[in-house]
Amino acid sequence: MSRSIKKGPYVHPGIFNKVEQLNETGDRQVIRVYKRACVITPEFLGHNFEIYNGKKWVPLFVTEDHIGHRFGEFAPTRNFRSHSKDERKAKR
Amino acid sequence: MARIEGVELPANKRIEIALTYVFGIGRSTSQKILNRCGIDWNTKTKDLTVDQENTIREAIHEMGLLLEGDLRKEVTLNIKRLVEIKCYRGMRHLRSLPVRGQRTHTNARMRKGPRRQAVAGKKRPGKK
Repeated sequence: MSRSIKKGPYVHPGIFNKVEQLNETGDRQVIRVYKRACVITPEFLGHNFEIYNGKKWVPLFVTEDHIGHRFGEFAPTRNFRSHSKDERKAKR
Repeated sequence: MARIEGVELPANKRIEIALTYVFGIGRSTSQKILNRCGIDWNTKTKDLTVDQENTIREAIHEMGLLLEGDLRKEVTLNIKRLVEIKCYRGMRHLRSLPVRGQRTHTNARMRKGPRRQAVAGKKRPGKK
C-alpha cells in the first residue's frame, strides 16, 4: 500500500534539520546518511551525501532529477558482477 | 477508411476496439472519446460517416491526449532519466532485468529474453 498523502513524503527529521542548518550558514559539507528510505526533497539540492549500503559509503551529489527518489535508490546493496566461466568446475 | 493520429486504420472492428489500435488509447479512453462524440460503441469502423470521424478527431484533440510518437518519446525519456541518475530502477532497465522487484531466480523471461540453452556436453564420460 502506498503512503498516505496526508503525512507527506517521509523525510528523516535529523537529515532535514542538518540540511536546513547548512542552508542557513551556506556551508557545504558531506552528510552521511543511514536512512535509505528517506525521500530527497528540493531542500537537499546541491548537497553532497554519502549513503551507507551496508558496507561502504556511496557518494551522491543531489541534482534536480534526484528529487522525489529515496537515498537507497542510489546506493545498491548488491554487487553482482557476473558468473565466472568455470563455475561448473568450482562446484565440483 | 478511418485514419486517426497518423497511420491507424482497422476497418472491420467495432469502433470501441478499433480506436485502441492507436498507441495511448485503451478501452476506457476509447469509451470516453466515443461518449463525448455521442457515437455508439458498436458501430463498425467502416460504417462511420466522415462527420463522425471528424468529431472523433476533434474530441481526441480537445482531450489533449498524448498519443503515438509523443507518448513513446515521453516513455523513453522517462527511462533515460532513470538511467542517467543511476538509480536502482535505471540500473534494472540498463541490464534489462525486471524493474519492480519481481523474482529473477525463475521467470522474468519477458525481460531476460528467451532461455539460454544448457551447455552441450554436460554429461561427461568417466565423471560424475
